[in-house]
Amino acid sequence: MKETIKVTVNGRTYVEDVEPRLLLSHFLRETVGLTGTHVGCVIGECGACTVILNGKLVKSCLLFAVQADGKEILTVEGLAANGTLHPIQKAFVEGYGLQCGYCTPGMILAAYYLLGKNPDPTEEDIRKGLAGNLCMCTGYMQIVEAVKEAAKQLKKA
Amino acid sequence: MAETKYIGKTIPSKEGARHATGRGLYTDDFTLPGMLHAVILRSPHAHARILKVDPQAAREPPGVFTVVTPEEIEKKTHPFKPGRYAAGLKKAIPEYAGAIGKVRYVGEPVAALAARTRGAAEDALELISVEYEPLPAVVDTAEAMRPTAPLLFEELGSNLAWKGSLHYGDVAAAFNQADKVVREHLKIHRYSSTPLEPFACIASFDAASKKLTVWVNAQVPEVIYDALREALGLEDVRVIIPDIGGGFGQKIHLIRKYVVLISLLAIESGRPVKWTEDRSEHMMAAGHSCAQEFDVEAAVKNDGTVLGLKFKEIDDVGGSISTLTIHFTNKLNNLSNTYRTKNIFLEGCSVVTNKCPVIPNRGIGKPGMCFIWERMMDRIAQELDLSPIEVRSINLVQPEEMPYTTPSGNIYDSGDYPALLKRALEKIGYEKLKAEQRREREQGRLLGIGVVIGVEPGGRNAARDMAIFPEMKESPGSGGVNGATIKIEKNGTVTLFLGSPNCGQSHETTTAQVAADILGVDPEHISTSTPFDSDLAPWGVAAANSGNNFHLYDIGAVHGAASRLREKILTLAAHVLNAKSEELAINAGVVQATGSPLKKISFAELGKIAYGNQALMPKGFEAGLQATFYYTFPHGEPNLVPGPEGLVRAQFTFSAGAHVAVVEVDKETGKVHVLRYLIVGDNGAVINPQVVNGQIYGSAAHGISVALGEGFVYNSDGQLLTLTLTDYGKSSTMETPRIEVEHRPSPSPFTTLGQKAAGEGAAIPSPAAIASAVEDALRPLGVRVRELPLSPEAVWKLMQEAVR
Amino acid sequence: MIPASFEYYSPTTLKEALDFLSSREDVKILAGGQSLVPLMKLRLAKPRTIVDLSRIPDLNYIREQGSRIVLGSMTTYEQIETSALLQAKCPLLPQTAAVVGDVQVRNQGTIGGSLAHADPAGDMPAAILTLAAEMKAIGPNGERWIRAEDFFVGLLTSALEPDEILTEVRVPALNGAKTAYLKAAQRAAGFAVVGVAVCLRLDQNGSCNNLAIGVTGVGDKVYRAEAVEKILLGKRLDANFIEQAAREVTRGVDVIEDINGSKEYRSHLAGVYTVRAVKAAMQA
Repeated sequence: MKETIKVTVNGRTYVEDVEPRLLLSHFLRETVGLTGTHVGCVIGECGACTVILNGKLVKSCLLFAVQADGKEILTVEGLAANGTLHPIQKAFVEGYGLQCGYCTPGMILAAYYLLGKNPDPTEEDIRKGLAGNLCMCTGYMQIVEAVKEAAKQLKKA
Repeated sequence: MAETKYIGKTIPSKEGARHATGRGLYTDDFTLPGMLHAVILRSPHAHARILKVDPQAAREPPGVFTVVTPEEIEKKTHPFKPGRYAAGLKKAIPEYAGAIGKVRYVGEPVAALAARTRGAAEDALELISVEYEPLPAVVDTAEAMRPTAPLLFEELGSNLAWKGSLHYGDVAAAFNQADKVVREHLKIHRYSSTPLEPFACIASFDAASKKLTVWVNAQVPEVIYDALREALGLEDVRVIIPDIGGGFGQKIHLIRKYVVLISLLAIESGRPVKWTEDRSEHMMAAGHSCAQEFDVEAAVKNDGTVLGLKFKEIDDVGGSISTLTIHFTNKLNNLSNTYRTKNIFLEGCSVVTNKCPVIPNRGIGKPGMCFIWERMMDRIAQELDLSPIEVRSINLVQPEEMPYTTPSGNIYDSGDYPALLKRALEKIGYEKLKAEQRREREQGRLLGIGVVIGVEPGGRNAARDMAIFPEMKESPGSGGVNGATIKIEKNGTVTLFLGSPNCGQSHETTTAQVAADILGVDPEHISTSTPFDSDLAPWGVAAANSGNNFHLYDIGAVHGAASRLREKILTLAAHVLNAKSEELAINAGVVQATGSPLKKISFAELGKIAYGNQALMPKGFEAGLQATFYYTFPHGEPNLVPGPEGLVRAQFTFSAGAHVAVVEVDKETGKVHVLRYLIVGDNGAVINPQVVNGQIYGSAAHGISVALGEGFVYNSDGQLLTLTLTDYGKSSTMETPRIEVEHRPSPSPFTTLGQKAAGEGAAIPSPAAIASAVEDALRPLGVRVRELPLSPEAVWKLMQEAVR
Repeated sequence: MIPASFEYYSPTTLKEALDFLSSREDVKILAGGQSLVPLMKLRLAKPRTIVDLSRIPDLNYIREQGSRIVLGSMTTYEQIETSALLQAKCPLLPQTAAVVGDVQVRNQGTIGGSLAHADPAGDMPAAILTLAAEMKAIGPNGERWIRAEDFFVGLLTSALEPDEILTEVRVPALNGAKTAYLKAAQRAAGFAVVGVAVCLRLDQNGSCNNLAIGVTGVGDKVYRAEAVEKILLGKRLDANFIEQAAREVTRGVDVIEDINGSKEYRSHLAGVYTVRAVKAAMQA
């Protein structure tokens, strides 16, 4: 049995028939074709699949696509406007806040959500805000620094 | 090279933009027409005989294309040839991609199937019925070696699959001359680097041409290339390696099993097949680092000089014979650490157990070797009532001894170890910290300072195995080879084909910096060809995202290819401009005659000529603007292969780092808080500081996490209890401390640009640094730290035992 | 990693939801899904029917109701954490919600889901028990209120009947009681190895005239440390006395053992965290 759902992803609306068991992460990757949302775990401990659903940071692998019916999603692909990197993306690129890139989309969205709520975070705030996103490459140092730098740039803008 | 405009500087990451925008392309991101999805049936038992596999019910649902059982795997594939990793195996034991006859660890692949969707495949997997005869599980090495223990491999007659030893210098004399012999028993547990992206592969077989193409996130193309040819008897194999979501050694070896199984499904079904491992599968079956136990003895003089070192190692290698001795053989890479000790004896025992097979992982046996040395240095200091700094200092290789030949034949290229140690102490404020520690102890706070030092070998030389296994007459990978191709397209764009895949170490950025300086272009204008494609890439045995090979083989190859291309550009430009090539300089992609502003020509104009205008080429000029260079290490002798004395260079460059950990132990809970972590490192001439820092931060953070609790836990039945990253205890931002890094580079005299390795270095000394700091914190209780991990409960128990 | 197939219903009224519960077999209620979805992905849970409560209006609120505060069962941790009303009148809930999981889990996870799941290491059950909250369950025969002490029945088992839906949680407005929730968290996910919630009042002389201590992660269900409460109640809470009393925290409890802690260590930690939480509450 399939359900018809209507989901807006990065401003574009998709109407799709999906199996109820289809996870939102797989809906984004396979049905919508946005592969920037990554999957790295089973029970939601890694955060690579993080997206923003109706303004809230969530793990798309712990939601069924049917739960997103009628809702709006922002994925990493929706951050850069016409090829111009968002200041957070720019800070990650220039400050080497990424290595293999697998955690990066989730990490950047977690940072985006954090800075939206708290434009002037302390290092402790940043670490708490990113605690749901694991990275195996960087030791988090350059990620935390990139978020600090992004906060600075966003305040200037 | 006229000048270095980019080498040595941080430029924006070339890989960064695609990753930050979600446009990186990983194996699971690809979809081929008609592609099926595979899943693997895995053993629920640690040890069992497979009596019967009945796939019938699983074949029935519509959408299921193919199921392969052990019987079919045995019939349709060949066992892997025992490779270098299986060195030491007494008897050839065929190892297939799946379990045949018996399962030897939880998660061992038994069967596989492919269906239209992943969901349908998972549904069908539940319909395969397997009858097992459970056998007693062997999970402990001591138990495993008992004569009555159940055997994993009956053919071997024992679970002690290999035992051997070697020695350098006169160890007996060293122990005779010693004022004291210091003994200790040490242990390191099982862990892994758990790359965030699990294994993934897509196989596509063209039955007409018998060509198999695989997309796979493997670190070493050669392993996959050889495995497919061996197991499937195919000649024409193409290995494509897209972006890899982290490797750390994890994606070198066992991944080959799955590529074979998925390829078999693709051949059988006539459809492309994709498989993506899930996290729990990765935890149970993708490979673990080896639990190692060491009985160590050090022969010391009263002043702390270590005359000799003996250690006997027991490796818990898990349920496979294909990586029997890697953790032991790797001890030759940093056998001397930073010390001058001339007499060393080492003995290894590889014990098979009903656990996940061991695999290479961030330094393989090297963190263990460093742990031995650094734990012993602290112990010697305690027993001789000297300071741990003093004991280390008196044994350090001195800068004036460089290049220094170690007793096992390694040649340390350069370095000033005393200066690294001195600077680390200075920067951390060691004396002040010690005073603070004394004051705080009176207040009941348990502060500890651990100071350790270690080398980070780079550029793998597989010939080291021949020192341990003299019966090996050759070892593929003796010295290394890797290539690079650089090309100027006819529109002037520079394209770089690397010989290696990239799993997060910014290879594209770093190599572009080198090529940019040689060719006189902006790195932004250099495009790197991705993904790695074995049909196109100039690759050799060192096309390995492992062994710290990149700085040596890839940089060497890119440097060589770019230099060759530069010559070619200048020859063509000199001819066209009617100038002498010595008068020409290249800047921003324009070749210009010095002193003659009008005599200039751009890469784009040169491209037009080189690819299309014979009339403007000099006589005898090979058309096109492309150069390939395969690099081998030009300073490989002496000791490239071991002589009768067993002297061998296990690796070729030696970075080093002094690490200081400052910790506080919560005396009530045993929880260790890392208050500061400092590294003063020598990674040779640094090409991109932020890239190198990233490697150091990441590997240090992993070593710290390993020391403080992450790791695999099995119960006595051989069931793995850590199937998720949560249970495994991976550190998040909250547990990971800030890491301070300072560079004190001693350029290598042996490498193209003076560069050394930086891939895994900080993972080597960091477990020892934490152990040292925790022991120092618990000094008032007389606690001795002998094993990892130092989880809160483990530390609490140490304190409890000390109080008793 | 893909759950087994199921039928999905997202009713827009409670009545509809109740009908599904009683008319379908093998139904699981989906609230935030932060515990259920992992179980389904591992195929440890394979319900045939899922009833998603998220489309039912008015299950998501935090309101003052006389001397009580009521929360809709679909209220998220994040809403609890940031509720000014709760921070002022029942700070134990925000204190607890703030340390649940991570940002993502707090945004999606709900109080009702957490309580119904009855995870022995759940944070929220400890607070709920400490507050002597009451849970409103609606079933085919109407509604009933279940007291917290009766609600947590055992390992992953609550007092809810299969055809009942948890709709509301009622906690007292505390008006000056002091509270704290502290936990020894597992690495990475921050699950409680041991978690202790405390709610206490001190009289003018500094004697404790009201005390509740809820403990999670230690037994097969969350429990009140009554032995400790009894010792401390009516006494001045000096440090030594608290420490002595805290030794009783596992009295009568069959302490669980897993990779995050042996029986012995967990028991010890429970004592340590009881002391820390009582002290933290006193200073709150």
